[in-house]
Amino acid sequence: MLRVSSELEGEKVNLRAVTDGSEVQSGVPFQDELIRFAEAALGDDEAEITEARHQVRDKLGDQAVVDAASVIANFQRMVRIADGAGIPLDTPMAVVTVPIRSELGLDSYGTSGNTPALSMPLKILGRIISPFLPALFKQIAKRVSSTEKTA
Amino acid sequence: MAFSSINDPIVVREDIPQAFDEIWQIIAKPGNWWRGADRVAIAAECRNARSCTLCERRKDALSPYSVKGDHHSVSNLPGVAVDAVHRITTDVSRLTKSWLEECEEAGLSDGQYVELLGIVVAVISIDGFYRAMGVPLEPLPEAIEGEPSSYRPDAKDHGAWVATVSPADLSEHEADLYGGLTQVGNVITAMSLVPDSVRMLKRLSQVQYLEIQDVPNPACNGGRVISRRQMELLAGRVSSLSECFY
Repeated sequence: MLRVSSELEGEKVNLRAVTDGSEVQSGVPFQDELIRFAEAALGDDEAEITEARHQVRDKLGDQAVVDAASVIANFQRMVRIADGAGIPLDTPMAVVTVPIRSELGLDSYGTSGNTPALSMPLKILGRIISPFLPALFKQIAKRVSSTEKTA
Repeated sequence: MAFSSINDPIVVREDIPQAFDEIWQIIAKPGNWWRGADRVAIAAECRNARSCTLCERRKDALSPYSVKGDHHSVSNLPGVAVDAVHRITTDVSRLTKSWLEECEEAGLSDGQYVELLGIVVAVISIDGFYRAMGVPLEPLPEAIEGEPSSYRPDAKDHGAWVATVSPADLSEHEADLYGGLTQVGNVITAMSLVPDSVRMLKRLSQVQYLEIQDVPNPACNGGRVISRRQMELLAGRVSSLSECFY
């Protein structure tokens, strides 16, 4: 979603910032402040959380702090649902994310075992489809947008 | 109203405390498999797990299952439930299917587990927001008397550790569960064995991220002041730090 939402805005993104943090420049505006806030919020160091929050507030404003804190908290929930219920990755998502998972090393995560290994033809299919993913999602966005206008 | 302290020092969108208040009310009520007092106790254990020394030792260990001992508990919940709450809270990425099977052998039913999971994740996301905002945590709700309903929907094995209800199998009791969508991600159906757990997830997602039907649309940011890609960068970083494959 980071990749397709970036390409939808006409921007390239380096997904390594997701796994490597601020060492990598993703191309997302105010990445350093946002990543620092996310990393601090997952820890217990209140001074670090305060400092990180102030940086987001200074650069992006009060409501950005609220929105960023919301997303961070939301995904603290979602990861626990996924790993607590032992759900597999949805098959279509597993297929189209083959190259990205490999590139970012996500297949080495312990919880990857909850998803059955894909057959070789599906892996190949995933590598073929993956480059077209942003275009596919753009179509979805256009369809949703035109449906909303009609409504 | 509960959650009024949330607006200090930064004023928060009013839909956020409204949603949190609704979640608190759901937690306080008897559920499908736990009484209201048990459910509030699960919430209290979730908060308490952050300072549990056994959890700390397990977190540092190569295998969390090699470290034995007793949790620092603040409730009268069965030991197996306390263990589940603490592990989900502090070390969820190292849970295993065989561990959950042992929980069931120790008397924690799949319904009880999913209900417990739903409460823990709701508390974590509300408390997580408070911590990020630098606001003292909201007191837990007062439990409401009553017995659990023992209601079990038509859930089946769809590849998760617990049975789930697919959109095609929704009965009239859960017709609202997936917002009319015929296909939803596994993370949405994951807790459907206890429908209120999915309802809490949807309500929180609505104010903390996006409506579930808006998630596949990469142009949608739900009217937030940060862009969708900024949201996804945060989501991705949190998931990566939590070593979540999903």
